[in-house]
Amino acid sequence: MRSLDWAILIAYIAYVGIDGIRRTKRSTEIEGYLLANRSLPWWAVGLSVMATQLSAITMIGTTGQGATDGLRFVQFYFGLPLAMVILGVTLVPFLHGARVFTAYEFLERRFDAKTRSLTAFLFLLSRGLSCGTILAAPAVVFSSIFGWPVAWSVAIMGIPTVIYTIVGGVQAVAWADVKQMVLVVTAITAVIAVVLFKLPVTPDAALHVAGAVGRLRVFDFSFDITQTYTFWSGLIGGMFLMLAYFGTDQSQVQRYLTAKSVDEARSSLLISAYWKIPLQAGVLLVGVLVFVYYLFMPQPMLFNPTHDRRVREAQPVEYQALASQFGAALAQRDTAARAMAARRNDGTRDAFRSAEKHVQDVRTEALALAARVTGESSRDVNYIIPHFVLFDLPVGLTGIFIAAVMAAAMSAVAGELNSLATASVIDFYRRWFRPNAPDTTYVRASKIATMIWGLFACIIASYAVRLGSLIEVVNRFGSFFYGSILGVFVLAMVRRSRATGAFVGLMAGISVVGAVAFGLPQVAFLWHNVIGAVTVVVVGLVVSAFSPAPPTPVAR
Amino acid sequence: MTSTSESPPPTTPTFRQNLIRVIAVQVGALLLLWLLQSRYTS
Repeated sequence: MRSLDWAILIAYIAYVGIDGIRRTKRSTEIEGYLLANRSLPWWAVGLSVMATQLSAITMIGTTGQGATDGLRFVQFYFGLPLAMVILGVTLVPFLHGARVFTAYEFLERRFDAKTRSLTAFLFLLSRGLSCGTILAAPAVVFSSIFGWPVAWSVAIMGIPTVIYTIVGGVQAVAWADVKQMVLVVTAITAVIAVVLFKLPVTPDAALHVAGAVGRLRVFDFSFDITQTYTFWSGLIGGMFLMLAYFGTDQSQVQRYLTAKSVDEARSSLLISAYWKIPLQAGVLLVGVLVFVYYLFMPQPMLFNPTHDRRVREAQPVEYQALASQFGAALAQRDTAARAMAARRNDGTRDAFRSAEKHVQDVRTEALALAARVTGESSRDVNYIIPHFVLFDLPVGLTGIFIAAVMAAAMSAVAGELNSLATASVIDFYRRWFRPNAPDTTYVRASKIATMIWGLFACIIASYAVRLGSLIEVVNRFGSFFYGSILGVFVLAMVRRSRATGAFVGLMAGISVVGAVAFGLPQVAFLWHNVIGAVTVVVVGLVVSAFSPAPPTPVAR
Repeated sequence: MTSTSESPPPTTPTFRQNLIRVIAVQVGALLLLWLLQSRYTS
């Protein structure tokens, strides 16, 4: 990175931190600190909802996935618009109308304290862990490309985030999210424009070349539950995941509880419904275009610089042999790609496919060698875009993109910390230990909880690096519980369901998902959400049918 | 156990209009992706 890039990066981090604190209306009341007195405009809430979901993993992992796997990951989001529509007419009015602080508080009003505490505990467990992985994703990449220790990378992003979340509460989080979304969209648009400008072929030819090796294949209509990303897993499994995430996960629910009214809360969710699929398609398209860019420009055999250096040092002979094979394969692919771009027919297409396969075969060997030497699973996909950003983007834009990655991480983590602190204080501290304390006590407790969760996230971030694909790790944590928690909220809207049914159903749902996850690991994780939700509803209704009705409240 | 006394407010015409728009935009987006796939993937 050059001086201008560093200046942009430092200026942005300082601006977010300072502005987040400056915009905060100092509040000694818990509703002001945690819910902004339910006063935020719908568009700010909507952007905050999107920003909380869009983390650095999206900017690094998803773009990389676009480069290696094409657009098909966008199917994951096919159920999202439908989920937003369903939530708009079901849970959002219930939760906003109930004037609760957390989604789980609503469950106690409908069922009982143990159902509330269990769901809140599951949220704290899964979100606490995923918060660490969200921070780990960019930290690992930055530590590798800049040579910093992982702990430094974690601290550079983690400390300002924790400070502005503690000081500003939900207002600082929401306004930082708005800035982040603007920066992310700017960065993505600019990168697409720059790549198209730098390509030696026309955009139409570039897309034909990418399409020839399946990078523009979006739809997979096979109904195969072992395939992670298909049209049906995205539409059905994805819809259940999104219903659970946006409808029952405090990190999302808290965003729209800050809206002025039910209608504004609904409208804020519709922003995601409108823009999520186009935004994700744009993110993946960045990866696809970077793939095309490297067809015509030199690319490294291993994008992860640390792995590259370690393999080069440990196995110099084997590395050199692979490197010369790789160089020859790249030259052959370059010629084939240019031929196909100039004249598209079956001959040039087949020649390009064969050349691309040869490059991938050599890279697979190199990745296997790297895995043997380092003892770590290959995560080279997460380094493709950082390599491109650092070495191929013009000065200034590199700083903007890196700032966007950091901003994405910071705002996602801030939203998580804020909601983790809210659930800790409202669902446990206030519920079980200090039910009638003054607001200043709860505000102070929320600040302490934010600090503790921030520390926890930083520690987890150091261990999460050893886990597999960053994208799937985060979703896997959630999928263990999400579907089951969604099932409980569905039961809450069914008049005949009872507290015992909800609690037994929840335990059954988690057990069944656990059994499926371990006993039938070939079932794609998106289906866990469907299995969990359906199990909870079925078991809950059956148990409720045999449970006594609650006593009718006596009017006073 | 207590039962909730809140009931959701009725769906407004504005929201219903928004729903129709969302569905229309999504159908459009999927159609665009389909066209992208069929034109460039052989």
